[in-house]
Amino acid sequence: MPQSHNSISKTDTFSCIQCGLTVMTYGPDGDRRNHCPSCLHSRHLFDQVEGGPSDCGMRMAPISIAVLRSGDWMIIHRCAQCLELTSNPVSRDDNQLLLMRMAVRPLAQPPFPLEAFGDL
Amino acid sequence: MPRRNPSTRPRRAPQRAKHVLHGIGGEQGSSFRCLTCRLDISTAAPGTAHRNHCPNCLASRHVDGRVPGDRAQQCRGAMAALCLSVRQDGEWMLVHQCVECNTLKVNRIAGDDNVLVLLRLALRPLADPRLRSRALLAL
Repeated sequence: MPQSHNSISKTDTFSCIQCGLTVMTYGPDGDRRNHCPSCLHSRHLFDQVEGGPSDCGMRMAPISIAVLRSGDWMIIHRCAQCLELTSNPVSRDDNQLLLMRMAVRPLAQPPFPLEAFGDL
Repeated sequence: MPRRNPSTRPRRAPQRAKHVLHGIGGEQGSSFRCLTCRLDISTAAPGTAHRNHCPNCLASRHVDGRVPGDRAQQCRGAMAALCLSVRQDGEWMLVHQCVECNTLKVNRIAGDDNVLVLLRLALRPLADPRLRSRALLAL
């Protein structure tokens, strides 16, 4: 159900589509959350290609970490059904273990040998 | 150096047939020019049937809409490589972000992509000065 920003009170909650955790709508910094802080999954509610609300509503899995010029981390989410991508800022109480796991994941399975970089 | 046994990999669906024309005015072309570094690039790439980014600077161009290869997008802006993602089978994927409209796209890496630039992208989260506190929080 689309709601305007003002109609959500500070104590509202939503339940995570993946792990079922009940999450406060607003994060510790007062900004609105768009993913579960425990499993980092999100829900596809905004259409990135044409703009406006999306009627997909499926689970969005976190696939990678992007770093902005300011040094802030963003989580890249991909919809499990229609493969659309979104990027969302990391919240202060997000699961740090999952964030670190995503950040070091490319180095765990490199497609080329990394030994040559030791000589550089 | 093969690190993974190809026979144990799960079988993926074959790549889509290619109907995209690279030449001027929709003609059949065998090369295109990178928007960012102006390098002339052949459309034939090792490891993939769809070259969609520059092997030198990894930049791409925003031409496709929802379906890869549909050329439905009117933006035509440059897309800069943003970060790396890893598939279930261990293959690296490049995430591109459009400089004009901030749209995100995922592309497979090709066999001749610049390894140094790829590794710089992979190491970017780990170069964060706040990483130490993050790592301690994760324990």
